[in-house]
Amino acid sequence: MPATTFDMTVPRPYALLAELTYRCPLHCPYCSNPTHARNGGELTTDEWKRVVREAASLGVLQIGFSGGEPLVRHDLAELIRAAREASLYTNLITSGIGLDDDRVRTLRDAGLDSVQLSFQSDEAEIADEIAGARAHQRKLDVAAKVRAAGIPLSLNFVIHRRNIDRLANMIELAERLGAERVELANVQFYGWAFLNRAALLPTREQVDRAREIATAAKARLAGRIDIFYVLPDYYEARPKPCLNGWGERYLTVNPIGDVLPCPTASSAIPDLHFENVRGHALDWIWRESESFNRFRGTEWMPEPCRSCPQKEIDFGGCRCQAALLTGSAANADPVCTLSPNRRIVDAVLYNLNSSSDHPPDWTYRVSPKAIH
Amino acid sequence: MPIEINNAAQARLAKGVRLQNDSATGKSVLLFPEGIVELNETAHEILTRCDGRTLSEIVRGLAEEYDSNVAALAADVRETIADLHQRKLIELT
Repeated sequence: MPATTFDMTVPRPYALLAELTYRCPLHCPYCSNPTHARNGGELTTDEWKRVVREAASLGVLQIGFSGGEPLVRHDLAELIRAAREASLYTNLITSGIGLDDDRVRTLRDAGLDSVQLSFQSDEAEIADEIAGARAHQRKLDVAAKVRAAGIPLSLNFVIHRRNIDRLANMIELAERLGAERVELANVQFYGWAFLNRAALLPTREQVDRAREIATAAKARLAGRIDIFYVLPDYYEARPKPCLNGWGERYLTVNPIGDVLPCPTASSAIPDLHFENVRGHALDWIWRESESFNRFRGTEWMPEPCRSCPQKEIDFGGCRCQAALLTGSAANADPVCTLSPNRRIVDAVLYNLNSSSDHPPDWTYRVSPKAIH
Repeated sequence: MPIEINNAAQARLAKGVRLQNDSATGKSVLLFPEGIVELNETAHEILTRCDGRTLSEIVRGLAEEYDSNVAALAADVRETIADLHQRKLIELT
């Protein structure tokens, strides 16, 4: 296709995930960041501001500042201000470490619309063990500061074998802290979490109980707290509608400026080349690049997806999961029971659920290695 | 669960909810954490008036501006506000 063709069928993105850095004070073994991230070469303040403006003119309405821990960037307030100037709705996705009274006020005054604060569990002992750092008490303090500043607060929990039995307590914590929204996300296996899968995957019994607790809490708290329960996809029969389709609504820019259809794509799909904002305009990358078009729509699908009535509903599931588990990103997500590769997932579940052994130890996430 | 809304209830955008124009479509949208709702023209006209005005005031204002039937408008306004209130996008006091 000649580069001058303006393809009217290309969708517009609604949300940009801005991964400002992979540096992080916590060491959570479920982190979805790449295990081989390198430190250095991060985009500068001016480069991020350009990305923000270009995203807004592409149609993006929401931006999530994430990482790593976005608070380690000293230009965060400046970037929030730039996003607000471009009329974006600004979300901070944070561990809370580094958020004191002054900083909360500065970010609010820069126009921060919402804070999503991660918690590892409901109480310090387990939470700090999971985070690999003494963080829980500081997070409780941060939640209070965010509330006092009048910024809407979401609590984000990643649920896995070691904390899933405390789900009800986590929901209680969200009520106690006055959160407007809670995300209870069963761990998805990418990055560090994929490496630590054997330690993190809950048992079928745990998953069944958690589902009941989440469903009941959702009904009980309707109209007060919005509860988003992310399903444990290995235990499902159909895959998640990942990103609502590749290159349909979302884009991610990682710390060094690579533009990704999905934050885990660069590590999960190493044979796909991703463009960088230093080399191309965001608009071109979104519309024209090979990486964004490779799995767009339904034409790329092999069987069993191609003839499946669900293909416009789940889009064949997750490309990264297909790549990690089957070796090819073009395969159906092996979580799907119609996939010839479902046995890979079943074997993992069988090994776990037929054994009474303690789960193995996990490997803590380490901060990216500095380039010398 | 249908909620009875008093005509004297004051309507405001809930905390963290923003009403703005979507320059890609020219339409009005509500933005909130992890969510976007696209509004039709009627909903847009109602929401621009959710600044602490009561339900009756909103209906009266719209009836004057569009010279339309108050009863029909009142039902529209009530339905839109009830829906958005249930989704926690509008606060009623």
